[in-house]
Amino acid sequence: METILTIFIIFIAGTAATYFLGKLNGVLRSILFLATLAATGWLFFTGITPESGIEFRILGITMGWGITPFSYIFAIIVMGLALLSGIYAVKAMEDEKNLNFFFANFLLTVMSMMGILFSLDLISFFIFWEIMTWSSYFMVVFTGKDVQKVGIKYILFSAIGAYAMLMAIVFIYSFTGSVLIGDFIDNFHLFDTQMQWLIPILLLTGFGVKSALMPLHVWAPGAYSNSPMSYTAMFSGALSKMGIYGMVIVLILIVQQIPNGYWIKEVIAWMGGITAAMATLWAIKQDDAKKMLAYSSIGQLGYIIVGVAIGTPLAMLAGLFMAVMHGIFKSTLFMVVGAVERQTGTSNFTEVTGLIRKMPWTFLAALMSIIALAGIPPLGGFIGKWMLYESLMGSNHYLLIIMIFFSSTAAFLYCFKFLFGFFLGQEEKEWSHVKEAPAMMVIPMLILAGFAFLLGIFPGLILKPINEGMQFLGYVSTTNRFWEMSIIFNDWGNAVVMMPIFYWIIGVFVFFLVFLTIKGYKTTRYVSTKDISTSGEIPKEHENLTFTMGFMQPFLRAVAPVMKRQIDKYYTSIGNGLEALFDFTRRINTGNGQTYALYFVVFIIILLLFKDSLF
Amino acid sequence: MVGTPVFLIAIPLLAAFLIPLIGMIWKESVRIIPGLVLAYMTVLSASLYLFILENGTYVETIAGWQAPWGIDLVFSPLTGLLATIMTFMGFIVWLYSYRFKSNVEFEAAKKYFIFLMLLVAGSVGIVITGDIFNQFVFIEIVGISAYALTAFYTGRNSAEAAFKYLIMGSLSASALLIAIIIVYAQLGTLNMAEIAANIDQMNVHYRIIAMIFFIIGIGVEAEIFPLNGWAPDAYTEAPGPVGGAFSGIVVKAGIYAMVRMMFTLFDISGPMKILIVIGLVTLIVAETSALRQEKLKRMLAYSSIGQMGLVLVAFGMGTKAGVFAALFLMLNHAIIKPLLFLSGSFLTFNTTEKYISQITGMAKKMPVVSVLFALGALAISGLPPFSGFWSKLSVLTAAADENLMLIIALVLIISVIEIVYYFRVINRLFFFEYDESVSVKPHKPGFNGMIALFILAGLILLIGFYPASVTGYLDLAADDLLNTHQYIDKVLQLGQSIIQ
Amino acid sequence: MDTAELIRLGVYGTSILLILIGLYAVLTKKSLIKIIIGLSIIDGGIHLLLIGIGYVKGGTAPIFSPGSEDAVARMVDPVPQALVLTAIVIGFGVTAVALSLIIRLYRHHNTLNIDEIKNLKW
Repeated sequence: METILTIFIIFIAGTAATYFLGKLNGVLRSILFLATLAATGWLFFTGITPESGIEFRILGITMGWGITPFSYIFAIIVMGLALLSGIYAVKAMEDEKNLNFFFANFLLTVMSMMGILFSLDLISFFIFWEIMTWSSYFMVVFTGKDVQKVGIKYILFSAIGAYAMLMAIVFIYSFTGSVLIGDFIDNFHLFDTQMQWLIPILLLTGFGVKSALMPLHVWAPGAYSNSPMSYTAMFSGALSKMGIYGMVIVLILIVQQIPNGYWIKEVIAWMGGITAAMATLWAIKQDDAKKMLAYSSIGQLGYIIVGVAIGTPLAMLAGLFMAVMHGIFKSTLFMVVGAVERQTGTSNFTEVTGLIRKMPWTFLAALMSIIALAGIPPLGGFIGKWMLYESLMGSNHYLLIIMIFFSSTAAFLYCFKFLFGFFLGQEEKEWSHVKEAPAMMVIPMLILAGFAFLLGIFPGLILKPINEGMQFLGYVSTTNRFWEMSIIFNDWGNAVVMMPIFYWIIGVFVFFLVFLTIKGYKTTRYVSTKDISTSGEIPKEHENLTFTMGFMQPFLRAVAPVMKRQIDKYYTSIGNGLEALFDFTRRINTGNGQTYALYFVVFIIILLLFKDSLF
Repeated sequence: MVGTPVFLIAIPLLAAFLIPLIGMIWKESVRIIPGLVLAYMTVLSASLYLFILENGTYVETIAGWQAPWGIDLVFSPLTGLLATIMTFMGFIVWLYSYRFKSNVEFEAAKKYFIFLMLLVAGSVGIVITGDIFNQFVFIEIVGISAYALTAFYTGRNSAEAAFKYLIMGSLSASALLIAIIIVYAQLGTLNMAEIAANIDQMNVHYRIIAMIFFIIGIGVEAEIFPLNGWAPDAYTEAPGPVGGAFSGIVVKAGIYAMVRMMFTLFDISGPMKILIVIGLVTLIVAETSALRQEKLKRMLAYSSIGQMGLVLVAFGMGTKAGVFAALFLMLNHAIIKPLLFLSGSFLTFNTTEKYISQITGMAKKMPVVSVLFALGALAISGLPPFSGFWSKLSVLTAAADENLMLIIALVLIISVIEIVYYFRVINRLFFFEYDESVSVKPHKPGFNGMIALFILAGLILLIGFYPASVTGYLDLAADDLLNTHQYIDKVLQLGQSIIQ
Repeated sequence: MDTAELIRLGVYGTSILLILIGLYAVLTKKSLIKIIIGLSIIDGGIHLLLIGIGYVKGGTAPIFSPGSEDAVARMVDPVPQALVLTAIVIGFGVTAVALSLIIRLYRHHNTLNIDEIKNLKW
């Protein structure tokens, strides 16, 4: 269909225009950037319907682009988040340098994600995947912080994942002679057993890297916290979902066909559970909001993976619903951190406190998303978690449920830390000059927070497309009445039955806030939070004693044995070992011309010795 | 047509003698005439190539001595393609190096451009000749001009690099001569087609020994593993554009000679273990060495060697898909690696050591050149949507067709290493702050140099977004290489037709 | 074994010996000059080998002259001789380049010991 091509042409033209014309004028650049996003967004939401597609051939390989009801869900997240974080970025980044590169790259990432979702064949899927990888890489190193360490780690893991995928794609192509995803799925049962196991594992490695599954996650904390926050909003919100997207396809359509493929799902589910638990613990430990949210993202992706990998219809619904929700609230939170950092200059909990009066709207957005993240009704996170628990119960994964329960309870700790660290607590003189972030930054956050709220009350809005997508994948085979699977939905499946309760909760919250603001305003006694004495301890002068300092030490001490073993260290030592080995191989070229002559003679002798086996 | 294949060799040789004479009258001519000659060669080989695509392989006999007695030049879809690429790259390198260092005076410029021209002419000669001894002579012409170009700068370590190159080069020439002697003693002919037709009559032991000496003799030029110790030194110490010429032109000729020997001369069909093994070892050793390099050009040199290893692996599969992939890799490498060398030598223009750390933050000072360098780096490490991706993909699919899983895995692991070391450089270039104390002074690139870079970058994008623009030609070339009988028939029949 | 065969074997043996002597020089001698001499000796050995192949006992020079048509049968093979001439010229060129490089190296390093000339490595 023409619209698909139009969208991509607009993207490419917009990228080029933003880059080249953006050098001339900042306003023009922003306008071009937003116009590209708006135009493609408008075209996408009006002109594209599921099941439209085009086919073409490159190198004699048939390829196709189109959109399926399943990828439509993810495309909504991508386009929506791109628009909102794009608006946010224009304001948030205005003082930075090299902005034409930033915005062009931003568009490139959005385009590549849309491309991934539009690809009906593995080659264009891979091409867009790689474009996504390197364009997001340039964003990770954009700030120039820790470039060689964090950046290389990201590109290294991405490359390993991508090449695992490419290997699978190449196998698929040589076996079936076609790269169309549909053909591959239809012919998968013809593969021999070895391949039937190898291909899904390779593909899952590729997707696992992007969705930060436990042993492959080490790039994520650094990468998420190092890129500009306006980009991380999309990076964590939308880009990581590409891994989930691929994983769902592999797990539903391919692993299903393997005899005993059940085990792959089980292993992935467990890895997801471990990811969720460990990442949550690490998140609690962080003092930097960006790092904390990065670990929190990894944890949340763990939940999603658990849901997707358990693979009962309800679990799948839960996983995908949480994927959407995570896209919404985690981008909001990253935007909040970006706003706080922009206004105060730091994102460290131990330095920034008491911003609630200075940045009330930002606080509101943060509060809503934190509630959604923690899974407290009435926001959307609750429904996702509820469905996940229900499905885990239903499929007898009791150990896993304990793990998930543990990590989601522990998640409260960092949620609290986030809210308290930035917004609650006492005001510091140091931050008295801080003002609310500009409207262009606050409004996208509030819109997203509003969505989180809306989906909490009317989950049907997103559950319906998810259901259609699942039906397209042939998963929910019989029923259209997805709400019958969970007990919390009402008869029509549009809303949650506990609605009256939610309204009460909201009422209480609002009242409480109003009460606090009016009542507490006058009686606040100002003491520096960075220099107070707490129970029994006699602090030294200028010792930082903000609330979040050494937060939850007893808990962290209790779990210290678990956290002691860091997989990062193993990777580092493997990396160092390899580098040393490679340093040795380059010493083969000694620099002495005579040695090279010796190699020459030795080479002749070797060839003569092995002539029977080599020729 | 604007000439016959023999002009591709005769004109530059003639010009090489005339330039010093003309240079006495008009000094600028030593820079301009080589450019004109290279431009003429490009036009000539391109038009010949288009001609033979329509009319079939063209065999030219020299001085009326028909094959197999005389020396003949074969302009086939394969050799024509390679000759066109080489002459074109030669022209690009000339365009870039025209006034590359404007302070280089007359004498030095004269030598540089004459040897550059001879280098291209020799490489083209290696490709289009149909006679193994003639090929030997061309290899030596390439060798001598390469030694001279490597040693171009005085007062640096360039003489050392050239000397190492020379030791290896003359040892390999001896090996090649021995191989030629063995073949001649056995078959009594030096014509490739005739050798190919009669190879069955050769004693099998002599055949293998001849093959070994051929591999060693050509291996130095083709930079296979234990024989490539000279290459990083020469690439580093030669002037920047010459590094581009080495990687874009000379290695290609070496690879061609080796492949022609394996596929046609000894008419091996099916997978060639020797090429695969040599290629893999070269690939692994070179790429792992590249990871730890401190000098930019040295890293590029190792990367170039590694890519050539990959090309040999692809050729070694012996299938149509493998040959196609190898030719695709050669084409891409011939475009991308010169781009890297040329832009890299702009970046490191004001340093003689060429340390990677010295280009820290250069993107702030030389944005366009840095972007072009990054484009080349992304393309060579096989990231889509640039041209390198398609060739890597075709190598992998070719290997998958043959069920060579180990090779696929190895190639991909090596690609990861490649990505790491190229991205380290890109990071330094773009995302570090420019630091006066570490980085070199930026250099204002010349206009002609930028045109050369933009042409190469444009080709990378063209092939990347529209691979079908070249795959048809590569397909024909692959067919041509695999079809030994057709080659023999063409060369020998034409000889007979002249007798009658 | 007739004399032709013996001569042939002698020529082959001598040339192989020469090649080995040259290789020995290239591999063990530390002086750049000696290495180049070694390369020249290898070249010489190969040229001898090449000539030896075309050898015919009691053969005549491969030149057509009127009235000696029977000589055609006894003519030594002309091709190796042509090859050797070319190879000698090339070898001469390479040696010349090598010697000039050695002068440059000596000026730069003040030594001719190959072990000390390794600024470029790894």
